[in-house]
Amino acid sequence: MSAPVPMLVARDVAKSYGPTRALRRFTIDVTPGEVHALVGENGAGKSTLVKILSGAVALDAGEITLQGRPFGPRTPLEARAAGVSTAFQELSLLPNLSVAVNLMLPRQLRGVHGLASGSRNEARVRNILDEFDVADINPRSLVGDLSLAQKQRVEIVRAVSRHPKLLILDEPTAALAEPEWLFRIVERLSGGGTAILYISHRLGEVRRLCTRGTILRNGETIGTVDLAGTRDADIFRMMVGGTLAEPQVRIPTSARAYQGPPAIKVTNLVGASVHGVSFELARGEILGVAALEGQGQRQLLRMLAGAERTISGTIEANGVVIRPSSPAKALRGGAGIGFVPEERKTEGIFLSLSTAANISLPIIRRLTRFGLIDRGRERARVREEARQVDLAEHYLDLKVAALSGGNQQKALIGRVLLSGARQLVLFDPTRGVDVGTKQVIYTVIRRFAEAGGSVLIYSTELAELVHLADRCLALYRGAISGELSGAALSESALLALATGHALEAAE
Amino acid sequence: MTMRAQTGTSGTTIFHPLRRAFGNGTLIVAAIYVALFALYAATQKGVFAISEINDLFNNALPLSVAAAGGTFVVLTRGFDLSVGGVVALSNVMVATVVGDGWPGGLAGLAMVLAIGLIVGAFNGFLVAYVGLQSIASTLGTMIVCSGLALVVLDAPGGTVPDFISNNLTDLAFDTIPVAALVVAALMAIWLVLRRTDFGIALYAIGADETAAGLAGISVARTKFFAYCIAGMLYGVAGYTLSAQTATGNPNSGNAYLLLTFAAIAVGGTAFSGGRGGVIGSMLGAATLTLLQKVLFSTGVSSFYTGIFQGAVMILAVLIAALSARLARGAQA
Repeated sequence: MSAPVPMLVARDVAKSYGPTRALRRFTIDVTPGEVHALVGENGAGKSTLVKILSGAVALDAGEITLQGRPFGPRTPLEARAAGVSTAFQELSLLPNLSVAVNLMLPRQLRGVHGLASGSRNEARVRNILDEFDVADINPRSLVGDLSLAQKQRVEIVRAVSRHPKLLILDEPTAALAEPEWLFRIVERLSGGGTAILYISHRLGEVRRLCTRGTILRNGETIGTVDLAGTRDADIFRMMVGGTLAEPQVRIPTSARAYQGPPAIKVTNLVGASVHGVSFELARGEILGVAALEGQGQRQLLRMLAGAERTISGTIEANGVVIRPSSPAKALRGGAGIGFVPEERKTEGIFLSLSTAANISLPIIRRLTRFGLIDRGRERARVREEARQVDLAEHYLDLKVAALSGGNQQKALIGRVLLSGARQLVLFDPTRGVDVGTKQVIYTVIRRFAEAGGSVLIYSTELAELVHLADRCLALYRGAISGELSGAALSESALLALATGHALEAAE
Repeated sequence: MTMRAQTGTSGTTIFHPLRRAFGNGTLIVAAIYVALFALYAATQKGVFAISEINDLFNNALPLSVAAAGGTFVVLTRGFDLSVGGVVALSNVMVATVVGDGWPGGLAGLAMVLAIGLIVGAFNGFLVAYVGLQSIASTLGTMIVCSGLALVVLDAPGGTVPDFISNNLTDLAFDTIPVAALVVAALMAIWLVLRRTDFGIALYAIGADETAAGLAGISVARTKFFAYCIAGMLYGVAGYTLSAQTATGNPNSGNAYLLLTFAAIAVGGTAFSGGRGGVIGSMLGAATLTLLQKVLFSTGVSSFYTGIFQGAVMILAVLIAALSARLARGAQA
């Protein structure tokens, strides 16, 4: 903090969405011409920060200065006018408009008639694309017709073409086939004095481009490090935190050996975003899946549950090949796979029905007498199951919509258990639930496994997987990048695998 | 991966010129209209007479203008039900308070534009700035306007000044239907508007509001103006309806509510936003009105009109969906 005026300084920036504190204390300083890395786990607050700096949301507290002047853009246009432009991870391109129109938004070039001129736009955009070495994209093409990698390049070109003072690149290489192209641009811009905030999970890239990096965890700046003097393992530790609490004692539930074929055996499974995955899930085992966002975990779990089509490969349940075409079929017909999906509001639960009705839904046919529901039997079974998942009885008559997220999740898990599933496929079952409910869910999962059930669980919280799973797979770009169990199963090792780094990177 | 990307690009170049010129939907509705017109010409004598053509334009005009207005809102992925109320209110106002002669005609036009603008601005404020659901808030304004229309005129009646009812339905220079001039003027205005930043913003917002906002578009302001323009066009629709019927009817808007949306759908504008255009919607309205005539000329009872109109709408949406799938298939 001595010679040059820093480009960007943020002090104690905070932002909450309702009760969720997305950003608590974010602090950073970036100098002109610097490529500054920002790293952190999913949900560490990176995207909130990007939104604040891009003018999409306003901060609650703290202060930000750009070249020494207060910076608080209220709209994306204000941010851009101040010299900040962003290539968004989720891409801010409009699929129904051409590349040229997208690049010129929100103001098109005008012709002599005063109207937007397609030819002028296209000529200008052709020049811009040439300037940034993009030869294979026609400015007239609709963005929706481009491949994901092409879209990502258009998004990046749009941001850099405004010659910003501060450029924000949010996971810019997530879909790029040749990242070298981006590296050349980054080097060129930073050489010209542009400060670049480079957000990436890929430490290899980060090390190549950046000299300093700021580590974000739970919405807080953990520290800014000189990357050359910091090992990957240390960075991972700073990202996940809680190094001291790591060696938790876990009692492997699969210690008891079960006879017979594995509960689930997946061989060379291929589907949308899943490229040849094979694994076995033993009876009584809890198998974790760790992955960053969008690495195919969603598709993998949904294929097992029959909610998504498989292209090739086989799924075996208890030694029998199954082809579940719907979650109902995955559950019945001997497979016995119960599924808790990610979107409980849209996929899991009937908000307008009572909690009891939600729980008893899958077995309602077994509770009927002469075709009518036997309320007494329904009541008894539901009560029993509610006790299992620690759901207070007075909730049963309320509509599910009136329950908190945690209690909804308990009801949903209760339902899956009641359905007689012998294999559970859980997609992030503790997302958005409070600490107490998490413990209940962990207990339920453990008890289920101890009774001989098998569990495949994906979680965005690595700590949870380390805590719960006997064994853990890491998915990266639709394939298994590694497997950890026993003492080797740690958050930092999982994170290294999930980010596509070799195991030894984390020691 | 690279292979895929390349075939994708070449597929684009084939489809692009057509899509750019007409938009998928407009081409389809134009074809449907031509086919229907051929049927009409085959079953009815003298359809090419200037008076018949004038009739065709006159009958289609009010719905065309209303559908043109609705399209602005539908492009932003909104629904504007206030059309029924505004058409009725404009109609009864023209039939009760407007004087004769060109000053009356102009004052009447200014009045319906003002009515539409007020209602549209109110809708736009609720949807764009307060953030209410468009269906709910415009349903409210529709009911209010329908109620107002009943207050102004509690039963069919009143008289539309001759100046309006004669001139708007007549031929200009004894050769061109005035209604056709109105249609042409609206289409011209649209062709200009869609080449402004506002016009492009309509499509952007309809495709992805969040992305449009991040790209620097003022989402709220664009939506607000879309509702304002829509309201004014509904007012004009009521004005032209008054010219056709030469009388006021507080229930005249009822038929417009659903037919406007049907015309927009037939015209190839997607209710999911971001696709379609005003010209398609106007053609869609013309198609639905021509269908009535064809059914009449072929001797089908008018009770069946609804069935056929609904069927044509489903057909048009189906063709649009199929051609979109075909276009995607050609790229894959």
